[in-house]
Amino acid sequence: MEPQKNDPKNLWDWFNPKGRNVGGWAFILNRIAALGLVFYLYLHLFVLGKLAQGPQVFDQFIATAKSPLYILGELLVIAAALYHGLNGVRVLLTSFNIGVPQQKQMFYTALLLSVLGTLVFAVRMFTVH
Amino acid sequence: MWKITYRVHRQKGNEPPHYETFQVEVDPEEYVLDGVEKIWASEDRSLTFRHACHHSTCGACGMRVNGVEKLTCITKIKDVVQDGGTLTVEPLRNFPVVSDLVVDLGPLYRKMAAVQAPAVHALSMTPWEGQNIAPPADIPMRSADEEYIRLPDCIECGICISACPVAATDPEYFGPAPLAAIQIQGLDKPELLALADSQEGVWRCHSAFECSAVCPSNVDPGRRIMDLRRQVSAKRLKLA
Amino acid sequence: MSKPHVIVIGAGFTGTAIAHDLALRDFDVTVVERGPIASGTSGRTHGLLHSGGRYAVKDQESAIECIEENIILRKIVPEVIEPNGGLFVALTESDLAYKETFIQGCEACGIPVDEITPQEALRLEPNLNPKVLAALIVPDGTFDPLRLALSFAASAKKNGATYHLFTEVVDMLLDGQGNVTGVKVWDRANNTRYEIHSDMVVNATGAWVGQITQMAHAHVPITPTPGIMVAYDQRLVNRAINRLNRPSDGDIVLPQRRLAVVGTTSFSIEEVDYVPIDRSQVDLMLERGAELIPAIRQAKERGVYMAVRPLIGASGPGRSISRTFKAYDHKELDNVEGLVTITGGKATTCRAMAEKTVDIVCQKLGLNIPCTTAAAPLTSYREFYSR
Repeated sequence: MEPQKNDPKNLWDWFNPKGRNVGGWAFILNRIAALGLVFYLYLHLFVLGKLAQGPQVFDQFIATAKSPLYILGELLVIAAALYHGLNGVRVLLTSFNIGVPQQKQMFYTALLLSVLGTLVFAVRMFTVH
Repeated sequence: MWKITYRVHRQKGNEPPHYETFQVEVDPEEYVLDGVEKIWASEDRSLTFRHACHHSTCGACGMRVNGVEKLTCITKIKDVVQDGGTLTVEPLRNFPVVSDLVVDLGPLYRKMAAVQAPAVHALSMTPWEGQNIAPPADIPMRSADEEYIRLPDCIECGICISACPVAATDPEYFGPAPLAAIQIQGLDKPELLALADSQEGVWRCHSAFECSAVCPSNVDPGRRIMDLRRQVSAKRLKLA
Repeated sequence: MSKPHVIVIGAGFTGTAIAHDLALRDFDVTVVERGPIASGTSGRTHGLLHSGGRYAVKDQESAIECIEENIILRKIVPEVIEPNGGLFVALTESDLAYKETFIQGCEACGIPVDEITPQEALRLEPNLNPKVLAALIVPDGTFDPLRLALSFAASAKKNGATYHLFTEVVDMLLDGQGNVTGVKVWDRANNTRYEIHSDMVVNATGAWVGQITQMAHAHVPITPTPGIMVAYDQRLVNRAINRLNRPSDGDIVLPQRRLAVVGTTSFSIEEVDYVPIDRSQVDLMLERGAELIPAIRQAKERGVYMAVRPLIGASGPGRSISRTFKAYDHKELDNVEGLVTITGGKATTCRAMAEKTVDIVCQKLGLNIPCTTAAAPLTSYREFYSR
């Protein structure tokens, strides 16, 4: 059927990896990163809300936040933010018809820089603390 | 000759869709569409599919082959399956399915008419020619005031719309082929500028470039949409 | 009195042009087609809008039809035509010897022909074989096969014709005297069967006319004669390039959008629904096409296809049968009332074929309505889907 506007059952098509090409993967990752960041935003507000519950509650939370699992979660946030931002630059450039024939290489570069950036943060977060 | 299996999307009337398999003997040099036609001719006369020119100039035979949009008349069987293997053929996405492999391209044709997509145009109006093709303006007619007329590259097959992740959730989005048709004409006509610079125009595109990856006719709609964005931005800046 | 109802079987060039003509003459029109529009021979033509040059020597009846219809189609359906003309080029002494015969033939048929120097020919078509000895310009053109049929179909639809696509005629409805009163059809898209009644049935099924006439216990002599065409992935020419000689295999190269198409061959078959590709003919097209346009050897094969011409007459070598068309009133032929068959002809002459057929329909129904299709511009092909 022709899709109905904003029909939620077609939302899956945003993430359907079947038959996708490089640009399609860039789009899928961009959407996943964006959803992750939105989720993180609410999580962040929830955590900030703990400040209102007094210093003990917050300190207790900070203690759990130092667990490796939590750091892994933070790394995901960093990876998502890096990729979403760098891919944003790619989308911005191509939107002025700059480098459209090189959009695949630009995607690979954005991906590589995101991975490298995340690794730098990973090393720092796991060693400094 | 190869023995391969066609796994074909079937749907009649309001019945729910299902898949049916056919064992076919084919020449691997033949095209996917030839195999579909062979199934119709010798196995199942109820199979419906769209086709006309069989050489990529009409745009009727767009389908999904193993999940990817292809113009089946120029997709060689040996390029999508191996001897003894299975090949899945499905109708295009993002269009109403009429029956089996047939979709209704009406929504695309209405949009192409809305953007006044030229049915024929001057040869010199084809920028970004492919490799090994002489720049069209260099080829003279017999006298200086004559101009070659040619049919455009876009064959209105709907493959770009089928591959577009935005078209999947927004049927009102003009989509790659119609926006590319605006880009070819330029933005001198105010009505075309208004269509391009609208919510369902160039700004709806999310730069997945799937259209350009699947376009069988070298239109490169993704790049044209991006160029249209640049043109629209330039117009807006000048107006400001 | 209500409008007479005519069923047209087949939505190729002929069927859609007949539907358009009937609708303009105010008939109630129903088109029944077993596939989509132009899915048989029509879609698979090479797309040459004939000037008539190819038939000017051996088949002048066809040549005259071609040049007349060429001029009309350019006027009524410009949006599907590349009107860039055509070249007939001589590459050998034998070609050269044919030149005067060719020019005389063209002049006899009213086909404008103009000789240009080999240098000029190479300037106009840089990919032409540099060994060209002589070149003649004629008003050939090329057209998009599907969109030509769609333009006629859309115009008919605009004037009230209804279409039953993917709907196959499975039998004829006959009255007690064996006269045709309608058709029994199978809607393949919805898997339903029903009957359609009419005042007249027109059989415009091209190479398949025999299957329909058989259902009415009538017959038509035709010879299905397929030919191969090979498309290459570069637009190496901007106009039709013909070999200046008697029509033979692989003697024409045509532009289609960004492609070059080489055609064709001519042979006989029995089974017309699926004609397998003979790779030796593909090689022959490359070889013969490269004689005209050597750069074809550097291009890539993009598509190979077979089209089955419905030539009129009993079996014989395909090239010797006339390319003209013929309409048959089965009352005269087989004493079956209510059925008219049209076949033969070429895409270029489809409008004239429709005119002749509808004239017969009018005559049979005792009506005197003149044909107006020659001066009626067609509506956009897009309206077939969008309306």
